[in-house]
Amino acid sequence: MSRRLRVGLVSFAHVHAPALAQTLRALEQVEFTGIHDEDPVRGREAATEHGVTWHATLDGVLDASEAVVVSSTNADHRRYTEAAAARGRHVLSEKPLATTLADARAMVEVCRRADVQLGVAFPVRSSAAVIGLKKAIADGTLGRIRAVRATNPGQYPGRWFGDRTRAGGGAVMDHTVHAADAIRWLLDDEFTRVHAEMGSFIYGLDVEDCAILTCDLAGGAFASIDASWSRPKTYPTWGGVTFHVVGERATVDVDVFRQALTHYDDSADRTRLIGWGDDLSRQMVADFVDAILAGRPVPIDGEAGVRALEVAIAAYQSAAAKRAVGIAELPA
Amino acid sequence: MRVGVIGAGFAGTMHARSLLGLDDVTVLAIAAAIPEEATPLAAECGARVATAPELCAAKDIDVVVVAAPTHLHAEYAIAAARAGKHVFCEKPIARTRAQAEAMVRACDDAGVRLAVGHVVRYFPDYRRAKELLDAGALGRPALATLTRGNFSVGSARDWYLDDAKSGGVVLDLMLHDLDTVRWWFGEPSRVYAKRITAAGGALDYALATIAYDDRPIVHIEASWAEHAGFRTGFELRGDRGMLVHDSRAASPLVVQSREGPSDPAMMAAPTLHESPYRRQLRDFLARLDRGDRPLVDGHEALRSLALGLAVIESADTGRVINWTAPT
Repeated sequence: MSRRLRVGLVSFAHVHAPALAQTLRALEQVEFTGIHDEDPVRGREAATEHGVTWHATLDGVLDASEAVVVSSTNADHRRYTEAAAARGRHVLSEKPLATTLADARAMVEVCRRADVQLGVAFPVRSSAAVIGLKKAIADGTLGRIRAVRATNPGQYPGRWFGDRTRAGGGAVMDHTVHAADAIRWLLDDEFTRVHAEMGSFIYGLDVEDCAILTCDLAGGAFASIDASWSRPKTYPTWGGVTFHVVGERATVDVDVFRQALTHYDDSADRTRLIGWGDDLSRQMVADFVDAILAGRPVPIDGEAGVRALEVAIAAYQSAAAKRAVGIAELPA
Repeated sequence: MRVGVIGAGFAGTMHARSLLGLDDVTVLAIAAAIPEEATPLAAECGARVATAPELCAAKDIDVVVVAAPTHLHAEYAIAAARAGKHVFCEKPIARTRAQAEAMVRACDDAGVRLAVGHVVRYFPDYRRAKELLDAGALGRPALATLTRGNFSVGSARDWYLDDAKSGGVVLDLMLHDLDTVRWWFGEPSRVYAKRITAAGGALDYALATIAYDDRPIVHIEASWAEHAGFRTGFELRGDRGMLVHDSRAASPLVVQSREGPSDPAMMAAPTLHESPYRRQLRDFLARLDRGDRPLVDGHEALRSLALGLAVIESADTGRVINWTAPT
């Protein structure tokens, strides 16, 4: 068998942490080196549950690993990434890359200087349907793309996701970056302007739970993103990701998580969608690990994380100013 | 009630056929820009073919249905009003605000009723949503997304593709949802919009975000790039629940012909006993009988047109348009 990459998991704060731990256990090209968490009770429990080493210190997991997956609060991404880079460890960071552009850019810079790779967890790019759409756009099948309507509505994740300090914002910070990254990648283009309306209308949080962004791209297309935590508790799944793409030759709808069985569950008094499509998170981690092992650039790098974050930051500025905000207006 | 219909295209044909099924209503005359185009519909209705000016002036006609191209609505509606006819005008009320204001004034001055065909207010799916919203079934509205799409009308009806005549996808299609949003949530406060304007209007697609001082946020999509055909839908999220509607998922009748999807001999059945178009005209004529105002009169339709024009202005300028409803 070819070489395995030693990968550790840093922090169990993110709702995606359990799935990431499962993935690290499952991937045959990964040797899962263990878990460190700033919350020792939670971290020890997670390590026990996944049958891996508990590292009481951050240095412990970094020493044992060649790369780490950071699934902390958004605000903690920077300090964990800096610590990993200082030890020469590669980093796969949960999204958004950071809560401020200054933090995000510092992460890119520290990894560049340390000659380690920085990846960002945007699993939408791992969808076979989205990859198919990317190819059809690139080879001209759809004609020139003029507009995209993207949605990434979800349920409110709870925990620290409604805490401005740790999350950097609300639904906009949580959801914008997935769609923004995918649109940039699909169209091979950059965002230039962002307009947003947002509000805290559902959960009584002091961060926004509803938001609609409308964006310009340099090549002339426009795109809107529904980044709301709008899915009710009774909704049959966590949310979804969709793209309605208007090209000059064809219109395409992608519903990334459409592959699901409907489960009418009397024992739980509810109906759920049970996904049976590809495990996008697992594919995303595998692509990161394979690139590191092969010495190639990771497929979704820190720069992509910065670009997606710019859209979210511009959205907050737009909502405050009640006008569209240019990406070029953001502080350097 | 004796009715004349100006226009023998999609809307004129729809309205004339809807009138045929109503008690105590006679379609007396059909007018079209090219008179031969009115002949088959006139024959179907047992009506005479007339020019639009003749029809507006005719002594034996009580009500004029204006289903001409949008930029001609004002001319015909004003002529009919001055001849003392009540007017039912297809939406949008007119292409410009000045035209719409002149129509409203002419009808008010002549003491005749002006109704405008914002037919979505008669669609049972949209009415049921309104009932649920008003009953508080969703709590306070937070976020509403509405979509409406169709294939491009193409070159068969050139005026549709001429923005100066039709107002394109915003005034033809999105206007339904802009009117619906006003009906559901009241008057908004600002508008931001984007629109594709491909040469000749062949690809017309628009997205608008409509905001209120407090809530909800509304996002509307209107598309003439829905090549599979007509589709509408909405998602209404309140702080206590969500309503979802997709017209494609709500068809009780799906037919697959062995000859393929465009088999002209295949069955086509209505899926409601009374179409919203007929319901709309029946209600208008009943209100005339009772001396009541139309459900959507000229003043109300002018406000929806003004919102559509604000969407176009935002898309053209890239600015947020602060909006106040015309009084």
